Amino acid sequence: MKIAELYVDAALSERPEVEAARRRFKVPARIVRSAEEVYAAVAAAQDPIGHGKRVLYLTRNRGAFVKSCPGTRHYTCCGYKILHIGTFCSMDCSYCILQAYFHPPVLQYFLNHDEMDQELERLFATRTIHRLGTGEFTDSLIWEPWTDLSARLIRKFAGQDSCVLELKTKTTEIDSLLDLPHRRRTILAWSLNTAEVIRTEERGTTSLDARLKAAARGAAHGYPLAFHFDPIVIADGCEADYRRTVERLFAAVDPRHIVWISLGALRFMPELKAVLRKRFQHSRIVYGEFIGGLDGKMRYFKPLRMKVYRDIAAAIRARAPSVCIYLCMEDDEVWQHALGFQPDSGGGLARMLDEAAARQCHMNPAG
Amino acid sequence: MASECLGSDGEGSRIVPLTDIDSEDERFRITTLRESAGLQKSIHRFGLCPPPLVAPDDGGFIIVSGFRRVNACQALGWNSIPVRLLRSASGYELALKAVAENSLERPLNLIETSRALNLLEQAAGDGRLADADALALGLPTHRGVTSQLKRLCRMPVEVQGGVLEGALSFAMACELGCMEEGLATAFARLFRRLKPSLNKQREIVSRVAEIAVRERIDPRQVLDECGLMHTTGPADPERNQQIHAIRRRLRQRRYPAVAAAEDNFLALRQRLKLGEMIQLAPPRDFEGAGFTLTLNFQTIADVAHLRAKLDELIDHPDFNRLLTGKGRGFEESSGS
Repeated sequence: MKIAELYVDAALSERPEVEAARRRFKVPARIVRSAEEVYAAVAAAQDPIGHGKRVLYLTRNRGAFVKSCPGTRHYTCCGYKILHIGTFCSMDCSYCILQAYFHPPVLQYFLNHDEMDQELERLFATRTIHRLGTGEFTDSLIWEPWTDLSARLIRKFAGQDSCVLELKTKTTEIDSLLDLPHRRRTILAWSLNTAEVIRTEERGTTSLDARLKAAARGAAHGYPLAFHFDPIVIADGCEADYRRTVERLFAAVDPRHIVWISLGALRFMPELKAVLRKRFQHSRIVYGEFIGGLDGKMRYFKPLRMKVYRDIAAAIRARAPSVCIYLCMEDDEVWQHALGFQPDSGGGLARMLDEAAARQCHMNPAG
Repeated sequence: MASECLGSDGEGSRIVPLTDIDSEDERFRITTLRESAGLQKSIHRFGLCPPPLVAPDDGGFIIVSGFRRVNACQALGWNSIPVRLLRSASGYELALKAVAENSLERPLNLIETSRALNLLEQAAGDGRLADADALALGLPTHRGVTSQLKRLCRMPVEVQGGVLEGALSFAMACELGCMEEGLATAFARLFRRLKPSLNKQREIVSRVAEIAVRERIDPRQVLDECGLMHTTGPADPERNQQIHAIRRRLRQRRYPAVAAAEDNFLALRQRLKLGEMIQLAPPRDFEGAGFTLTLNFQTIADVAHLRAKLDELIDHPDFNRLLTGKGRGFEESSGS
């Protein structure tokens, strides 16, 4: 993470994290009374999105830390919960939805962790299985080099038996996490893609090999793992490329360590197309066969999605027959064609994943 | 030089030989009209009124306003003509006169407006046209609009022609103006011939651009391969068919799987022989799960007929193929 400007909420200027960030990024801290000052500075840049990746705003989360993933009734949602630790990302993936999601997008890191802890305690007290992740509005581990947030969360989740935390990343920032007493309540998860997509569309991220090596190290330290083939980019010959990625995954990682693998084809809000054309002129990924999805997002034509899912799932099952595979935001028809069953037949997708978490993470909510 | 009479603004009337007027110098030309046959008849019958406006230049005169009148007099074989002479006007004053003589007489079209704005800005000392002058001449003052307008008269001739004919909107001309000249000309030629609506023009331009990026080829190659370079100028009914065919070809190339699924669906549906009383529609873009069946009837007898038809449909093997074929784009499965 390279930060050019550091802004700090005036009410939090004495917090130790401010000094840590100032020392780490070697920039002065600008104290602001409102977020509008930061947004205005970012919005005034020639490339606000690119600029927003170099502007860090230390502030407090004024809303809920634990949020339900905003699913849609048209597609099957996994019932995930988002642990909202911050926003945006310092890496620069062409397809990143966050570019069009925040106006303007700014790297925000929330410091009011006491409130986060309270919300988590309330959730733990329900003694029902919940799957939470920090990697929805940001990458889970970009904050790792200068904060102790992941360590704090890992320790916190290790102290209970009903919730599992998923740290989803495209980085390899796991060194400081390996020796923590995690009790398998934290899943280390990586987004995976073909080497070509990583090279051309995922600017500033780590290579496929680096991600898989990091995953193997995590597994060696007892962490459960997860992998997300998301977004799957459909292009001529992509099936063979994804099969190769699957081969490389299982060459690096024993399937017994894997809690789940998700598959999700590229989908995006229509507004992202203009952003992508402007910021990633070499990219051709928006020129696939997209149609307007029932949730208003652009999605690949359904038979194309079905085919690529079927191919990748078959490759995974050939190497790991019992690993839990699920589709991210797809309907029953796609599930049936791609995976041969519909999630409702097993009590629903959320239950399927809860069971996978309970099994792999040795959870015991009632206990 | 028979006579001269000076007005208060330095404009004088005089008679000058036509050979002294450089009609090739078009630096002050605003009008886009070239034809002067009608004007010749008028001048022949009623005389030259008002006389052209000229300014001294290099021992002779250049035309500030009245290009078609001078051409008409030349065509009528006149040796000399009355003119209004601007003796000591600055370049900017001449430009103001040139625009005023046109804009105060009739509304300027887009190309003329573009020429007027360019002429005035080039002649203004600081390169900027004063808002007060622009407003007095009926010219736009909004910076965004004027910067786009100024580009119009520098665009390829085919694009300018399309704008003058009304075949190309200002918005489409601006879009074409951002393209390489050959491509802009090819699109303009196509749109002038077929005159599709603005929405269809935009769809065609965007499809061609996307196909070119997708296939890593030059957009002109797409135009050529999709037969868009060689359309003829057909009668109106054929024109609509040609536009439809072009859009279909571009859609098939941009969305091959979607277009194939549509074709397959239509072929399967045709085999069902539904008749006029039943319509069967797929989910939009084949994304949702539900098909739509619409029944049209007026009488009980119609309903009885529909009931029998629906029974037939349920047993029809192609109906089942149609309902189950969405996942494979309605392609016939090998077992069917």
